[in-house]
Amino acid sequence: MKGARPVVEVVRLGVVSYQEALRLQQLYVDRHRSSPANALLLCQHLPVYTTGIRHKPYPAALLDRLRLLGADVHRTNRGGLITFHGPGQLVCYPVLNLGNFTKSVRWYVCELEKTIISVCRRFGIEASTSPHTGVWVGDQKICAIGIHCGRYITSHGLALNCNTDMSWFGHIVPCGIEGKGVTSLTVKLQRDVSVEDTIPHLLDAFRQHFNCELTEEHTAE
Amino acid sequence: MAMRAALRCLSSNFLPRVAQLSPAAQLSAPRLLWRSGGSARTLSSTSVLSTALRFTDKHEWVKVDGGTGTVGISSYAQEALGDVVYCGLPEVGQKLELMEEFGALESVKAASELYSPLTGEVTEINSELTENPGLVNKACYEEGWLIKMTIEKPEELDGLMDQAAYDTFIKSMEE
Repeated sequence: MKGARPVVEVVRLGVVSYQEALRLQQLYVDRHRSSPANALLLCQHLPVYTTGIRHKPYPAALLDRLRLLGADVHRTNRGGLITFHGPGQLVCYPVLNLGNFTKSVRWYVCELEKTIISVCRRFGIEASTSPHTGVWVGDQKICAIGIHCGRYITSHGLALNCNTDMSWFGHIVPCGIEGKGVTSLTVKLQRDVSVEDTIPHLLDAFRQHFNCELTEEHTAE
Repeated sequence: MAMRAALRCLSSNFLPRVAQLSPAAQLSAPRLLWRSGGSARTLSSTSVLSTALRFTDKHEWVKVDGGTGTVGISSYAQEALGDVVYCGLPEVGQKLELMEEFGALESVKAASELYSPLTGEVTEINSELTENPGLVNKACYEEGWLIKMTIEKPEELDGLMDQAAYDTFIKSMEE
């Protein structure tokens, strides 16, 4: 039925370890088995480097070196190459049933990109897409995207740099793209923009682009 | 005799390339049937030695030839994925159950799972895809095939959609 807009529950996790966020994501993914249960998980992570389904570029030795920096390291089942998550970065995991939206992974990633471009525009920043997935300000990536889709249920998502400590990115080739940099809302605006400042804009833009309704429970599991 | 009639009947519905069974393949079909012994009794009315494309509701296709199933994804699926940049495929020898996840395709930073259309064992994976994952988009029914597998339960083929049913299925999804 095309009439009713899908409902998406916003879940604010606060600052959580990557493992904890994975565990919670899985709960929400599993919930979809019994009934429509779209959710938007919002969080920040303790410093962690993550890789996707392409393992070969990242042998154990490389990952061990990253651990020595004091970060956690995790292999995942998402698309995309290596990236960094840490405090000051807004991480958003939409756990959606694309059957309630459009059953196309390409469409879904495109709408995520448009959502972030809208968020940047609200801050007066001109962002865009490029042949490389993600959202860019010129030659610098401001938001990384890497998702997993199984039976039309999405997991993993996006990571928008608000006032992230950018030096963590210096130890990797972010997303495997040589010669391009990374940036944040704070760097671009030359003033502090926090995750809390950004969340309302993200929710608004998400509601708009995904044409859905957002609800909020008061406790996460 | 019945075999030849079945083949003729199927070929009229086939996509052109599948209908081009070499004479050698047609002759060898009865021999394969005898070799499989007892399983001949469990064959459904559709010949399991050679079929037109069958589809799952997850948009994988399987084509049977000489008792081996070749598996890939449909045109609809590759369109919805976008440009494939990486194929995560199983090992030869891996046993798969019907609808079991057997790998993933990566496109636009999204890893999408693949589901086995049948129960069987992986006999071959398409090594062309390591260097050329885009074949999945360019030639999803031909050079872009993903794996080949044995067919342990031929009756599972009856549970899959034929081309006409699949076309209807896609149309209903787009409404």
